[in-house]
Amino acid sequence: MAEVTGRKKKDKRMQLGEAIQEFVKDGCTVTFSGMGGGQCVAHTYEVIRQGIKDLTLIGDSPCESGDMLIGAGAVRRAELAWCSYAVAGLGYNYRRAIEEKIPHPIELEEYSNYSIGMRFLAGSMNLPFMPVRSLLGSDLPKYNKNIKVIDDPYSGEKIALVPAACPDVSIVHVSRADQSGNAQMIGFSSNAENLARAAKHTIVTCEEIVGADEIRSHPNLTIIPEYAVDAVVEVPFASHPWNMPYAYAYDLPFHTVQLAAFKTREGFLDWLDEYCFEAGSWEGYLRKVGYERLHTLQRLESRFTRAPY
Amino acid sequence: MTENGNVAYNLSELLVAASAREIKDGDVVFAGVGIPSLGATVAKLTHAPNMIMAMESGSIGPQPYRLVLGIGDNACVENSICTTSLWRVFSDQQRGFFDVGMIGGAQVDKYGNMNSTVIFGDDGDYYTPSARLPGSGGANDIASSAGRTILALPLQKRRFMERVDYITSPGYIDGKGGRERLSLRGNGPEAIITNKCIFRFDPDTKEAYLYSVHPGVTVDDVVNEVSWDLKVSPDVHETEAPTAEEVRITRILDPHGIYTGNGLNNLSFEGYQAMLEESLIALRMLFG
Repeated sequence: MAEVTGRKKKDKRMQLGEAIQEFVKDGCTVTFSGMGGGQCVAHTYEVIRQGIKDLTLIGDSPCESGDMLIGAGAVRRAELAWCSYAVAGLGYNYRRAIEEKIPHPIELEEYSNYSIGMRFLAGSMNLPFMPVRSLLGSDLPKYNKNIKVIDDPYSGEKIALVPAACPDVSIVHVSRADQSGNAQMIGFSSNAENLARAAKHTIVTCEEIVGADEIRSHPNLTIIPEYAVDAVVEVPFASHPWNMPYAYAYDLPFHTVQLAAFKTREGFLDWLDEYCFEAGSWEGYLRKVGYERLHTLQRLESRFTRAPY
Repeated sequence: MTENGNVAYNLSELLVAASAREIKDGDVVFAGVGIPSLGATVAKLTHAPNMIMAMESGSIGPQPYRLVLGIGDNACVENSICTTSLWRVFSDQQRGFFDVGMIGGAQVDKYGNMNSTVIFGDDGDYYTPSARLPGSGGANDIASSAGRTILALPLQKRRFMERVDYITSPGYIDGKGGRERLSLRGNGPEAIITNKCIFRFDPDTKEAYLYSVHPGVTVDDVVNEVSWDLKVSPDVHETEAPTAEEVRITRILDPHGIYTGNGLNNLSFEGYQAMLEESLIALRMLFG
């Protein structure tokens, strides 16, 4: 029997470091799932730890995966709608990159959240672009020539077009997956299902790897089927300090301390030394945060919501 | 602190109630994080039990018994009617299902065009701004397609401008007919809620006018903080005070003043945990 490779493999389990090293190369185009929760934080730290450079980052509203990668000097070009942290603080690294060119200038192409979502929808459908009723009358098209405002050929009304996003690598974090990459999300998916389908390579990480039988007993929870997946990695608490639906609550006090550190360049670099480089791995980061605290966040969430499986 | 009957309330609590009152029972509401999401949660627990909150992350119709700490916080999936994806929620808005959207920004002009992208320096160049702001996020999409939009920002002369540096979120563009000319489907801004007053929009000219002033604020205080020749409603009045019930629910949800005070400073892990647990217990006792 011929060897089965790539997306046809049945067992795609890897370690996070291996998966990032194999698929995320200097100069490639990358995107991360999550939207104000369920963010790809472990993955961001690993990309920084490996010193990957010259990335083109596409995302709707990335937090750590936008601001920290930009601060670490990993991003050459960003195509996004927003970059900050909401309640806990601002995207200080993003601000420094644009206002002061620190650590270096980045190219920026701006969209809105929905139009970034439509770019991934187009990519996931193998279509060149998608029409959208946003962006009209704003200054976004003025500074982004890849947004085209045309007359709808059917009605004659104005409509905006945005180009398909087809990243080299999509990194998505879900609730659970089997070893072949059938990925289930309980709770909102941000745009994970389209990110995964639009990319040349997709790394699925999950809070928990489960058996194929468990997936088959709840097939309507599957948002990404195995044929769109290259690697499967179990990464518990991968979104800390963010929340993960039905799993653990937001660690707002930790995030507030983190963002206070990011206010200065020195504070950010010290944070990277401590939580990224000295910690050495996501397990090292979690040990620093403390498992007692992490389990408290789990218990806290279980008082409000419970997964139906 | 100001008194309404025997209820004392602070300015933030007034703003929460003012945001809540923009929501009608049965509305589908796109609520951003902060005072808008707190106002929406208060509305749901007071006068608008049939309101449906929609969150950008893909959650629809939550009934949270805790403070919503982000548009993708777990509070957004708590007792929700649907969890789906970002592009699907925004498509529902574009389809016309959402009655009201609430957005913030750094600058606004008299036609309700908002900027949350960049503050220009002296050279007026987008590429070398004096301040880089977070960007559109979903604000442009909400301003384009929500049935009506509620804008929120602090009243300051440098923010209330004749023309904003950059239009992130379209209001009425240049007045009546501006949105229709551009094929924008949403009906545009309904109100601007500030720390000093509330503005509404003239149906004929689409220009913002002063509708009400908060307790202790005069009409002149407002006129002095607006860069254009502000029109004032002939029946300008004091902004309605929050009710005892609105203040009570606001304090159950946000006892440390994360949105209604300086509660983020010195927020301990234990205090945070207790805040969420106590809000759950208090709201279960009140609402089952």
